[in-house]
Amino acid sequence: MPDRLILLGVIGRPHGVRGHVHVVSHTDDPASLAEYGPLVDERGRRFVLRWKTDGIASVALLQDGREVPVADRDAAARLTNTRLFIERDRLPPPEEDEFYLADLDGLAAYDAAGARIGHVAQVHDYGAGVSLEIAREGVGPLLVPFTRAAVPEVDVAGGRIVVVAPAEMDAELPPPPGPLPRGEGEGCAP
Amino acid sequence: MARSVWKGPFVDGYLLNKADASRASGRNEIIRIWSRRSTILPQFVGLTFGVYNGHKFLPVQVTENMVGHKFGEFSPTRTFHGHSADKKAKRG
Repeated sequence: MPDRLILLGVIGRPHGVRGHVHVVSHTDDPASLAEYGPLVDERGRRFVLRWKTDGIASVALLQDGREVPVADRDAAARLTNTRLFIERDRLPPPEEDEFYLADLDGLAAYDAAGARIGHVAQVHDYGAGVSLEIAREGVGPLLVPFTRAAVPEVDVAGGRIVVVAPAEMDAELPPPPGPLPRGEGEGCAP
Repeated sequence: MARSVWKGPFVDGYLLNKADASRASGRNEIIRIWSRRSTILPQFVGLTFGVYNGHKFLPVQVTENMVGHKFGEFSPTRTFHGHSADKKAKRG
């Protein structure tokens, strides 16, 4: 995947009159955005960021190996909404049994018998473990937790994962139609 | 205002039964729940719940540091077109 671009941040509105800009970082540690080296935009321009204060950075455009700083507010305003990417192969290799979420996106999903189920449409991570949303043809999406039990095999290079969908308790039940009758669903102190 | 301590944490009663049944079965399974308002209790640690967000059941793997929070906190109801960027995941 040498040509894949991963979105790392977005340049926001200008800050002050010296060409500084607000930058929204999508990296795990927001401050690490500047540590990845030159970032590229959709037009192929390369930018070097240097943090000034929290969320505000100075920007320089790389031209012929030289840094041309963005020095005034008008030039900074022209960069508003510029999306900053990094080539996938410039990201450091993940550790053993660790995967970039961006790499999981789009992998083909197979069941244990080798039949194709669908593909990974979305990777959810809301603080309660990563889960994969598998888009299937003709039926609704399948959501599986990203665990060894549910996803025993991940082959990023081969573009496939093996999914053993966990059983679902009460899977046949539809969502409740409305508020529960009074007295039902009341809480209890364990 | 915070909930009075003497009441104890709120949890829908049926969740306790479902959690007990799941733990007893020892299978790799997801407990589907609609009760986003229930507090996560220590006996839920290690189980995986599918918490309904009005659209789908998002898997929530309960860990120790989630105890005391509500299930709904881990299953957002608004569409999130997130950016995975450089985020990494280890299989649980």
